[in-house]
Amino acid sequence: MEEINIVLAGVGGQGILLAAEILGTAALKEGLNVRVSEIHGMAQRGGAVISNVRIGEKVLAPTALEGKADMLLGFEPLETLRNLKFASEKTLILMNNEAIPPPGLTTKMMNYPSLGEITEKIRAFTKNVVVLEAAKLAEEAGSILTRNIVLIGGLVATGKVPVKIESLKEAIRELVPARYLDMNMKAFELGYKYVQKKTKLAF
Amino acid sequence: MPDSHVLLKDSPGKHVLLLGNEAIARGILEAGISVVTTYPGTPASEIGDSISAIAAEAGLYMEYSTNEIVAVEVAAGAANCGIRALTAMKHVGLNVASDLVMTLAYAGVRGGFVIVTADDPECYSSQNEQDNRFYALLSNLPCLEPSNSQEAKDMTISAIEISEKLELPVLLRTTTRIGHTRGPVAYSRLTKPNLKGKFIRDVKRLVMIPANSRPKHPVLLKSLEKAKEISEKSPYNRVMHEGKNKEFGVISSSSAYNYTVEAADLLGLDVSILKLGMTHPLPEKMIGKFLKRHEKIIIVEELEPYLEMQIKAIAKDYAPNVKIYGKMNKPYFPREGELSTRTVATGLAKITSKKLPINFRKIDERYAEIAKDLPPRPPILCAGCPHRASFYVIKKVAGEKAVFPTDIGCYALGIAPPLNVGDIMICMGASIGTAQGIGKVTSADTIAIIGDSTFFHAGIPGLINAVYNNHKIIVAVLDNLTTAMTGHQPHPGTGITGMHNPTEKILIENVAEGCGVKYVKVVDPFKIKEAEATLKEALQYPGPSVIVFRAPCALMVVRERRRKGAEIVACKITNKCINCMACIKLLGCPALIVEEGTVSINETLCVACGLCASVCPYDAIECPEED
Repeated sequence: MEEINIVLAGVGGQGILLAAEILGTAALKEGLNVRVSEIHGMAQRGGAVISNVRIGEKVLAPTALEGKADMLLGFEPLETLRNLKFASEKTLILMNNEAIPPPGLTTKMMNYPSLGEITEKIRAFTKNVVVLEAAKLAEEAGSILTRNIVLIGGLVATGKVPVKIESLKEAIRELVPARYLDMNMKAFELGYKYVQKKTKLAF
Repeated sequence: MPDSHVLLKDSPGKHVLLLGNEAIARGILEAGISVVTTYPGTPASEIGDSISAIAAEAGLYMEYSTNEIVAVEVAAGAANCGIRALTAMKHVGLNVASDLVMTLAYAGVRGGFVIVTADDPECYSSQNEQDNRFYALLSNLPCLEPSNSQEAKDMTISAIEISEKLELPVLLRTTTRIGHTRGPVAYSRLTKPNLKGKFIRDVKRLVMIPANSRPKHPVLLKSLEKAKEISEKSPYNRVMHEGKNKEFGVISSSSAYNYTVEAADLLGLDVSILKLGMTHPLPEKMIGKFLKRHEKIIIVEELEPYLEMQIKAIAKDYAPNVKIYGKMNKPYFPREGELSTRTVATGLAKITSKKLPINFRKIDERYAEIAKDLPPRPPILCAGCPHRASFYVIKKVAGEKAVFPTDIGCYALGIAPPLNVGDIMICMGASIGTAQGIGKVTSADTIAIIGDSTFFHAGIPGLINAVYNNHKIIVAVLDNLTTAMTGHQPHPGTGITGMHNPTEKILIENVAEGCGVKYVKVVDPFKIKEAEATLKEALQYPGPSVIVFRAPCALMVVRERRRKGAEIVACKITNKCINCMACIKLLGCPALIVEEGTVSINETLCVACGLCASVCPYDAIECPEED
């Protein structure tokens, strides 16, 4: 199997590290070599969070090279934009459209770029962009906190993740607290179906 | 994070995706390490936390000690009764513990004792990026360096065995990328812990008066020779790949090794790579042999040229004509920050005159175009954080002229606008001491800001000094009833231990009074008027004073409410709001948002602490009453 690099980026509190761990655990279930990088400490305090999931026999380093992400899973538009250095025209970008403006923009006289501006810049990097309303779908599943699982469902629906759906579901069952499991499984389905429908239209 | 019980499964051969830190925890269980002590610090925290969650079930003893030197003392005491022990800490923690460690190297241990030091290249969550491999050189203690989770587990076990063989503590040095990267770990058998130790009186060995320590120094040096033999035969020191290229040879260790292999692959550079896992003492003969086989040697390591300095000395004896490339004379690799496949590939390309297959400059230029106008997103105090209320009060009462020495913890984020509280921060506990020096030679009011866990860790000697030498400072203890920054570990003020047993709750106000402070008050930072009045009074007090600003960490409050199934109803802005921006300009709360000149509240982030309602000059924010 070729090396697969998935970059996950967003804001502390969005469940990025759990999403990365689920992807990595699913890959390990299929006997694949994997590395998942995390940055802790500042993650819960509203800062930018980035994680890499790297799958492949020869993978050793925790992070992907610039321009070498096969997939960029953007949990937040601005953070997706911030991590475009990992993308190229070959990268598939799946982006949650939920804007979380960094606090203090007003005092710094800065504006949060419009979603249109952001997607335009992203499309200049790659045409493979899927935008989804993960927050809305998560609410539909039962809680905004399941948006990470919505995004994983969406990512799997693109068919680019080299693991079986069953392995991913098993990883979710192992890693999500039991009492929130149904909600998360629903979130997975909603994300999956949304992207499946959207990509069928797009490609 | 997986349930820590995953670590307790006695299923040899099973593969689990673990953080390096969790893998060390698994190594603890497989090695039968029975006493684990720690003071929490990123990037080491998950070692202690994973063990704390399962310690009682596993039958071992775990504690969050008050600071790193106490942690090492407790573990060293147990190890000297023949019990296997481990202490985990972040790199700067070893500075605190070093007084003990340097002389413990003379006294030694009977049971295996591993000291985990987690370095932080790139300062992801630290105040410096010191390279703790030099502690191995300084103390003459052996040092192992894992490069992935599997090795992190395996080396924990090897370190214990080496420690017992040499009767010396062994350092296990990780970095952020080792501790915080997940990789597959193959389980081996668990070993049952043993907490039944025996203290054997041996004054000559253990009482380090000059007459006893003097003869122990040559003993230590002799052990170092034995350690060198172990290093020569260590499975962790070996040529991982025999390359076709006979001109160049590469020597690397830890994270740098991972980048090196991928970078060489990228460049199509088929070179032999000597990987060092036991990096103190170095396998001199093995390295000498490797040097002799090549005309040119490239040394790839993170941070300081620790290997390079020593390998250059080895080269003088074994291969004086070999040319060595690294970071000392001409810097091919950076000495600061963390390495990456990119930085290593760039250095290797320069040395070997290979062409990089990726045009990084083009990527940089394209990215710079996009990144130039992006608003930054630094970490900030959470919505509902009690520190925000404390800082609001402190700034309002003490004003711009006061000096605020601050300390290590979430409250260091108080330096961000609009709060702007925090003028000097160096290390754990330093706020109280530096405040005294500043207060002595200036006319400014000096208010030291320190957290609860940090106060217990290193604040008390400073406070006693303030009383003894009569320094008129105010110590503001921001007590959120937990060690928040590192993941909510308990501390001496929480009434709970690392074994999850209830214990005496040590109150900071009682400690302060016990230290002789005459003005000690406890306030709720969300009761702004009272807190302001107290601080005003303290400013008038002629001697040192302590104000404990006590309110629980917002993250704990929210978690607790969620656990109870209680709904969190956000604050609401009413039609009285004229968008004067006072709440925005005074508080900088992430839940308060301005869009096109209008203030609104993000209901997902707001935890209804009510601070914005308290400061609103138009009484235009409604905060739901807690049920």
